[in-house]
Amino acid sequence: MKTKMMMVVPFAGLAAMASSSFAHHSASAFDMSAPVVLKGAVVTEFLWINPHPLIKAEYTDEQGNLQNWTMEMGSTVSAQLVGWTRTALLPGDVVTLYVWSAKSGAPVGRFNKVEFDDGTVLRDSQRGADDGGRSDAGLRQ
Amino acid sequence: MRRTCTGIIAVLVGVLLLPALAAAQSDAPLSPWKYYPEEARTNAGPGGPAPVRDLTGTWLGESSGGGVPRLVRPESPPPLTPLGQQLFDQRIVEGAGVSVADTNDPHYRYCDPFGFPRNMNDQIRSMTITTLPDRTFVLLKFMNIWREIWMDGRDLPTKFSGRGADVHDPTYNGYSVGYWEDDYTFVVETTGMAAEETWATETGYPHSVDAVVTERFHRSSKNDLTVTTTMVDPTLYTRPVEMGEVYFRWSPRQTFFDFSCVPSSVQRYLEEMADPAGTGNSDAAP
Repeated sequence: MKTKMMMVVPFAGLAAMASSSFAHHSASAFDMSAPVVLKGAVVTEFLWINPHPLIKAEYTDEQGNLQNWTMEMGSTVSAQLVGWTRTALLPGDVVTLYVWSAKSGAPVGRFNKVEFDDGTVLRDSQRGADDGGRSDAGLRQ
Repeated sequence: MRRTCTGIIAVLVGVLLLPALAAAQSDAPLSPWKYYPEEARTNAGPGGPAPVRDLTGTWLGESSGGGVPRLVRPESPPPLTPLGQQLFDQRIVEGAGVSVADTNDPHYRYCDPFGFPRNMNDQIRSMTITTLPDRTFVLLKFMNIWREIWMDGRDLPTKFSGRGADVHDPTYNGYSVGYWEDDYTFVVETTGMAAEETWATETGYPHSVDAVVTERFHRSSKNDLTVTTTMVDPTLYTRPVEMGEVYFRWSPRQTFFDFSCVPSSVQRYLEEMADPAGTGNSDAAP
């Protein structure tokens, strides 16, 4: 995993210049101006499915309200290329999730990245750069 | 100009980084079961002459992660007849400004098979080509499907509706025959594709069951394969449609990840993610 991360980080800087034309689905439904940060979110389910894996997590906001979030990633194939596996996230994991939230206001969104307690970061392939661009530009045209 | 220069710099930086990244990975054992797109990227050049009348092997396409560009996209706008335009106008194509919740693309909503010719111009991840004495098979990794191309000299069927022994029901991939035009160019003609269920392209171009699609697989070297496609469909188009040129590179390790859209998974994805996310249009959002 650490070795894979060595690949991901340099490529993140190139993502802003990468084309998004290979995204499986568009991001028109999401607010790509700034990600919502869910600090201390608890993973409830990680669905390794196509067309997009889903991360489901509980998050308690500053007012103590419990929110149940669902967020989508790039395809399983694309995610594998930037270090993901079927068991990269497990129920009960406490993490910080960054997500481009839906304009609809529903607690769903396009996954950006996840930060683990040990400092490890895993990013989405298609929207994993800090500006919402690809994090796998080095592996794509 | 600035964007062009920036792009060139980005490519150069990426190219310069690749050897360092490959070295960073060199201490980890490589699995023969895994796919390493960085290997495909560093496998530059023709790799030697093309073998005679041989396309056998695994090839990487535009969406493989192997740095393979597409050469030419289908012509746009398509030269539609009034009936073709009527069908085209019914299609809501997912893309810029249209979310998954909006589209009526049968693949995105239900995982329906692309069918041919869309499965050769959309989600071009990888394919394996193999042969029997009388047939060539194109095995498409996306959705794990295969096309069967007969080379025994038979004629294509021509009648796909009505009653009678000469009627052949349409199929998702149609009926295909192939022959070698020269030692490096394999020509495939296909007709009888199920029309109501499938789109010809991800951009919603229609096709009729009587459409005849011609593909030219041209192998110019060991590593380079180009597929050029033309569709003749007088019912829906005023002239032959140039469906573009798709480029493939030889896969050094001959492996690729599996990718299938599963109907039960896409239903869950739509119900729990895409449909709640809505259209992106605040007036239409749920």
